[in-house]
Amino acid sequence: MEQEVGESLIQLGNSDGSNSSSSDPVTRVRKLLFRRMLVGIKDGRFFLGTFHCLDKQGNIILQDTIEYRSTRRSSPCPMEQRCLGLVLIPSSCQNSCHVDCSVEEQLSLLKV
Amino acid sequence: MADKPVYEEASIDGQPPKLASIPASDTTVWADASPLLQAACAGLRDGELIHGDNFNLFAAMSALEIMDPKMDSGIVCTYYSIDEAIENGAAPIPISLDSTIDVRCTIDIMDHLLACEAAWHKGHSLAQTVFSCIYLLRLDRTAPHALLHSYCRIIRATCKAVVSVVSDARTHEEEDLFTMTYGLPLNGDGDDKCLSILNAVEETISRQLRACKATSSKRRLPEDLEPLQSNPNLEEGFCKALLCRLRFRKHFFHVLSCMKRPQGRGLESARKHIASCLTELESILKSADFLRSCFDESCEGDIDDKTTASGFEPIGFDAMLNSRLSAPTPPRAIKILSWKKAVEYFVKLLHDLDVICSYSLDPHLESLLRFVVQFQKSQPDLVARSHLQLLLVQDGKLYGRDPFFAVINKAAALPEATKNHDIQKNESFLQLGMLVMNLLKILCTNAAWQRRKLGKFLQDWRVIYVQLELAFRNEYGEVSSSSNDENTCMKIFQHILLWVEEQTYWIAFRFLILGFELELYSTGEYCMVYWYLYAVLIKLTEKTHLMMAVSHDNAKRKGKKKKDSPKDLARESRIPPAVLFLQCYICLAEGLSMMLAALRNEIPVFHSPSPFNTEHEKFVQHFELLQRACIPDHVSYPSYKESTTHARFSTLAMYNYFKDAQRIAKEVKSSFSNDPERLAELRKLEQ
Repeated sequence: MEQEVGESLIQLGNSDGSNSSSSDPVTRVRKLLFRRMLVGIKDGRFFLGTFHCLDKQGNIILQDTIEYRSTRRSSPCPMEQRCLGLVLIPSSCQNSCHVDCSVEEQLSLLKV
Repeated sequence: MADKPVYEEASIDGQPPKLASIPASDTTVWADASPLLQAACAGLRDGELIHGDNFNLFAAMSALEIMDPKMDSGIVCTYYSIDEAIENGAAPIPISLDSTIDVRCTIDIMDHLLACEAAWHKGHSLAQTVFSCIYLLRLDRTAPHALLHSYCRIIRATCKAVVSVVSDARTHEEEDLFTMTYGLPLNGDGDDKCLSILNAVEETISRQLRACKATSSKRRLPEDLEPLQSNPNLEEGFCKALLCRLRFRKHFFHVLSCMKRPQGRGLESARKHIASCLTELESILKSADFLRSCFDESCEGDIDDKTTASGFEPIGFDAMLNSRLSAPTPPRAIKILSWKKAVEYFVKLLHDLDVICSYSLDPHLESLLRFVVQFQKSQPDLVARSHLQLLLVQDGKLYGRDPFFAVINKAAALPEATKNHDIQKNESFLQLGMLVMNLLKILCTNAAWQRRKLGKFLQDWRVIYVQLELAFRNEYGEVSSSSNDENTCMKIFQHILLWVEEQTYWIAFRFLILGFELELYSTGEYCMVYWYLYAVLIKLTEKTHLMMAVSHDNAKRKGKKKKDSPKDLARESRIPPAVLFLQCYICLAEGLSMMLAALRNEIPVFHSPSPFNTEHEKFVQHFELLQRACIPDHVSYPSYKESTTHARFSTLAMYNYFKDAQRIAKEVKSSFSNDPERLAELRKLEQ
């Protein structure tokens, strides 16, 4: 359902060109640089860092990354964290990707 | 817009519950960006990146790649955490309800820990080796299992002791992983009682051994003792196997404690414990046959590669569990030593420690230096070398007992009376003391590190020489009628200046020789190396001879009152054997150098210029550090070229070099009859 909402928002943004000066996804993603990004990977860990770089294959580089992992397979459970620095997360192991933004911004940024 | 509530719902429902526990902040939420990113990727051209102004491709290459086992130390394998592993039975207590299997598994754990310990000593991190043992990571859990508990306790105490020795010696700069113990439970409450706990367990097993032997010989023992395990046929073998392992641990711990005692007071006791350790290790090796044969199941794979004596895989080890504790640095894939190799390692370590313990703490610097050089020939590992260094340099004194000025005083052949002279408070003399201390420390490091440090060290020695010379000239530039005290000061300066020069050339000599040990010279470069050696040795011999002459003078002055026997007079006029020994080396070095030069000049095959550096450049590369320290003066590439371009086979003089060396060697042999090392060297020279 999230996917549909996301896609429809992009389409909305595309059709509603007059609302913004830059409507192509590349520019919009450029605006996300230096924002805090949370990437979930397939083995269950999460990486929280500053969005640093993206390439065509979808590999993401994060800066000042913190790794979160749960201490048990079943949830709820306490999370452990540690600092890693600069990390590269290949697209093949990515599960999810979230960006930290205010509720209002959520719409304008991800739509525009 | 209707989007707002839809979004909020989506963001709460769509997110997995775990995400909710990573809060964004008070005013922000996590918004799914994956569709947007996917669209952007589609829109990018090949090779195009989205990045900010601070992006640097070169720096980005250093990013840790997630899910790459070489770089990502946090990959979730079997278990998420140590506690989860324990809950899932990775380290059961007791290991098995069948006491026979329980005992065998315990022995496997002991053997694997020995192999891990050896791997750690060899230079890997503690977290990936010894502390890959889940039992060790949660030691309190093992309390109900007396055998395992006592063994883990003593392992922990031993590791802590070894870490502290290596940290104190600070030789760990060479092997940086050794002392990394972030977050590892090395400090335990009550570990000082680990020996008594171990003794109690040992006592029980000894009684069990006696009991089973008594049963087999049909004697009755008054005690009602429960046997170690359930199979009476295997009882004796298991008891013996356990006893030798426990005793080895006990004696090894004692060795470490004794050697730690200041001023070498514990060395003799340490030797006794070393001997016991070696005996127990032999028993441990012998127990392998029993352990392999006592079960019907045979283990697969090559027995020699196994980390246990029985060949079975040990229970309760997982190197990945605390890889996160070994800092965010990328994990290195390591291979734990095989059990046989581990035992061999400990045998060698104990032999090296024994050599250290049998050293007589000779106050003469010269013999000490020879001892250290000789010791290094057996290529001792880090732990042994750290122990040697701690023995030599303690509390800023030699052996913790002799202040360095007194040591220098003796080495420079000054009379005993001057060792407490106030001049030692002079800045330059204090620095000289530090230099000697550092020299000893450097000589205890591994060959590669040592050579690097020695090369740089030459500069320091040169500088101190210049400083001392300057101070000397400033104070005693004009030699007038001086008081007794000034006379002493002058003598101190003169002797020490001479001694500093001798030491500097000795260091240069070591520097060049280490190059051979480390195979740093290619065969084409041997000629120039030998030539340089020859030049350095000439200077060294000159200074040594001068020092001996000076010390002879002192002795003569002392012994003036006694009647000089004709033998004494004859001995004085001859060249001292130490100098002759060096002259042997000189002849050899010169001979080899000329021979190689002649080969190169006469037979074109030997002279193959390399496509990379010219000979001059190679000369500079090898000897730059020496040249910078002006060792020796007036030695340079042109003079090298000059001496070697005309070398020809026809020069009979060359054969004379080797003949001379042999002749001198024969003469010198007699004077060194009580010095076995020098005799061995001489024999090698003769060949």
